[in-house]
Amino acid sequence: MSKDQVSPESAPNAPDQAEQAASVDTSLETEEGVAEPTPIEQLAQQLTEATRRAEDNWDKFVRTQAELENLRRRSEKELQNANKYALEKFSKELLSVVDSLELGLQAAVGEAPDVMRLREGMELTLKQLNSALKKFSVRAVDPLGEKFNPDLHQAMAMQPSADVEPNTVVRVFQKGYLLHDRLLRPALVVIAQAAAESTHIDEQA
Amino acid sequence: MAKIIGIDLGTTNSCVAILEGGKPRVIENAEGARTTPSVVAFTADNEVLVGQSAKRQAITNPKNTLYAVKRLIGRRFKDAEVQKDIHLVPYKIAEADNGDAWIEVNGKKMAPPEISARVLMKLKKDAEAFLGEEIKEAVITVPAYFNDSQRQATKDAGRIAGLDVKRIINEPTAAAMAFGLDRKHGDIKIAVYDLGGGTFDISIIEIAEVDGEHQFEVLSTNGDTHLGGEDFDLRIIDYICDEFRKENGIDLHNDPLALQRLKEAAEKAKIELSSSQQTDINLPYVTADASGPKHLNMKLTRAKLESLVEDLILKTKAPCETALKDAGLKPSEINEVILVGGQTRMPRVQDFVKDIFGKEPRKDVNPDEAVALGAAIQGGVLGGQVKDVLLLDVTPLSLGIETLGGVMTKLIEKNTTIPTKTSQVFSTAEDHQTAVTIHVLQGEREMAKDNKSLGKFDLTDIPPAPRGIPQVEVTFDIDANGILHVSAKDKATGKQQSIRITASSGLTEDEIKRMVKDAELHAEEDKKLHELVTARNNADAMIHATNKTLHELGDKVQGDERSKIESAIGELKTAMNGDDKAEIERKTEHLTELSGKLAERLYAQKSETESSPGAESEPAKEAKAGEDVVDAEFEEVKEDRK
Repeated sequence: MSKDQVSPESAPNAPDQAEQAASVDTSLETEEGVAEPTPIEQLAQQLTEATRRAEDNWDKFVRTQAELENLRRRSEKELQNANKYALEKFSKELLSVVDSLELGLQAAVGEAPDVMRLREGMELTLKQLNSALKKFSVRAVDPLGEKFNPDLHQAMAMQPSADVEPNTVVRVFQKGYLLHDRLLRPALVVIAQAAAESTHIDEQA
Repeated sequence: MAKIIGIDLGTTNSCVAILEGGKPRVIENAEGARTTPSVVAFTADNEVLVGQSAKRQAITNPKNTLYAVKRLIGRRFKDAEVQKDIHLVPYKIAEADNGDAWIEVNGKKMAPPEISARVLMKLKKDAEAFLGEEIKEAVITVPAYFNDSQRQATKDAGRIAGLDVKRIINEPTAAAMAFGLDRKHGDIKIAVYDLGGGTFDISIIEIAEVDGEHQFEVLSTNGDTHLGGEDFDLRIIDYICDEFRKENGIDLHNDPLALQRLKEAAEKAKIELSSSQQTDINLPYVTADASGPKHLNMKLTRAKLESLVEDLILKTKAPCETALKDAGLKPSEINEVILVGGQTRMPRVQDFVKDIFGKEPRKDVNPDEAVALGAAIQGGVLGGQVKDVLLLDVTPLSLGIETLGGVMTKLIEKNTTIPTKTSQVFSTAEDHQTAVTIHVLQGEREMAKDNKSLGKFDLTDIPPAPRGIPQVEVTFDIDANGILHVSAKDKATGKQQSIRITASSGLTEDEIKRMVKDAELHAEEDKKLHELVTARNNADAMIHATNKTLHELGDKVQGDERSKIESAIGELKTAMNGDDKAEIERKTEHLTELSGKLAERLYAQKSETESSPGAESEPAKEAKAGEDVVDAEFEEVKEDRK
């Protein structure tokens, strides 16, 4: 329940009250010569103080509400991201398995029936693995012939080449992979250098 | 309120954090990583790359890929450190007109603050993306040994990046704040052992309490600017290459792909050995020669790793001893030792630190992030967020009331932050029940009798009605002083009763701990008991409903059918008195089936004939429900006006 006007004398807002209090003050002063606050002045002061505190608290409250809203919004986004990239660490580990299978296939060049059979089996196994990865939005980055893109590729070396434009990927040491739009690991590539310049391989930063 | 971010601007990696809900947290960058490499590259297309992407193109652009700029910022060209760097880095370090150390990029001279500003800009942008608001102010950390010129240059970098740097604080101080050491009473001396990726820093700092304020003073610093985790990785790589060469005659250092894979495997192995005694390094098809593919598969034990890096760890001893001497302190006079930097996760390093200082180091804050977290805390303090944060209490135990079957129904879960208020609507258990007893309980057990009784009161004069119809709203309200108000209101009549329970009528700390532990121990039993009670309640409800239906159908249910149902009810009642939940559920199901068939007939009849006892009771029930609805609406309007 709100308390309404305290007394007929008090004005609707504090400054007026202070003024009135001041006018009362002077009359008191002339009478008694001592500036002791009258009950009305005291109440006026208290009211100003209380109003100020109330405004302060209201401000704090509104800010807290706003912060709460912001926090809720951020938490929601974080949860979304957590779900979206939940497989990040796991899929990173699996990439080495893909590498090994691919390298194994590259190396299995023999003609013997055993080798052929093993090769076929490995191919199918690799196919299984790749299909599983694809299902969960893990895609390969195989940029042979594309322009070098430091967001997706890591340059391992440069190679002079007269055939292609400088900064084109001429060799892919290892494929890169993306989980949705996030890079799991960059593709390890060799970049074409303008034929005139000498190859200049420096240590990476 | 505008937030102030905390930035750890590191030599190799940087990290940004913010105070959120009173707790500091690291902000992930746009690529999803918690740290960003302090690398800036200017490409031929006049593009500026920052972070990982800059690092990835380093080989194609060595002269314009700038890293470790922190080694140059605020220094003169003629400084020894700068002169040393000139021979270590592929980019050109030049002298500015005023004698400062600058960097020449694409023929243009740039000041280090301009370069570092690029890193700060990225961190600022990523923080803004995370927070969804503009960031204009920051706290940035610097090494304790930075002089005025270096500090000012760092501040300039911030300004160039569009940040008002509210304060530059020392890295060991920030770390101490992250560990909460600035909130203790009295004076405290702290040793900060920072072993990161590329540098080692030891700082002795003192936090003194002066007139209620905490003052920080750096007593001494020392370190090794070229000693870090990367050196540890190199030892492992070299060892593996050696072993491989012995077995296969091939030097993997010469195979760039193999070396890259080996680098990653070595770092992974090092990390694993911090929690396991041994690990596998498994790289099938690591390389090939004329005789075919070669595989790398070897075990690495923790003991072997420790022997490989022992001398590196030993190198940190002398700086520590010198720092203590310069501070005029003995190890025993150090109150706390804190670990910063990822490499301090290694058990051998932790043991080593313990030996030097004679006490167990604090490692409860993420060592990679401690400095940024501390900067965020400082940002929060400057932004007034820490002062304004109220320390809120939580209810240590759950609160609720006793409901049908002697069960405790929780309304406020334990560890809920207070003040808090919650309501739930309950109803009567018996037909024509005109009063409810609100028995307020505190505890975690399922059964009311196993919890602590806080108080009891009755709400009377509930209009007679079938069980389950009346709506009694029970409200639990804990105010800011921890006083609990429990009220029960009959939504139909508006009649309300309440009780006030003060904290003193609750439990002691020890009692609380015991009760929580008890609940855990008895969780299984309690669950079973609760399920039994639920089964009984369901059985009871079914009996009640069936009896009602029987009554409504009256003569229509005769002889065989009626006696079958009645005996089913009888059997169920008997089962209810026992403790066999499965039996009760079986009998309930049986009765449900029979009752279901009965109800079918009831509805079938209703649709055939217009007037039947069933039909009459339906509209009557609806009317009653309608009354309730009207009442409730009326009630709510009244509340709003209040």
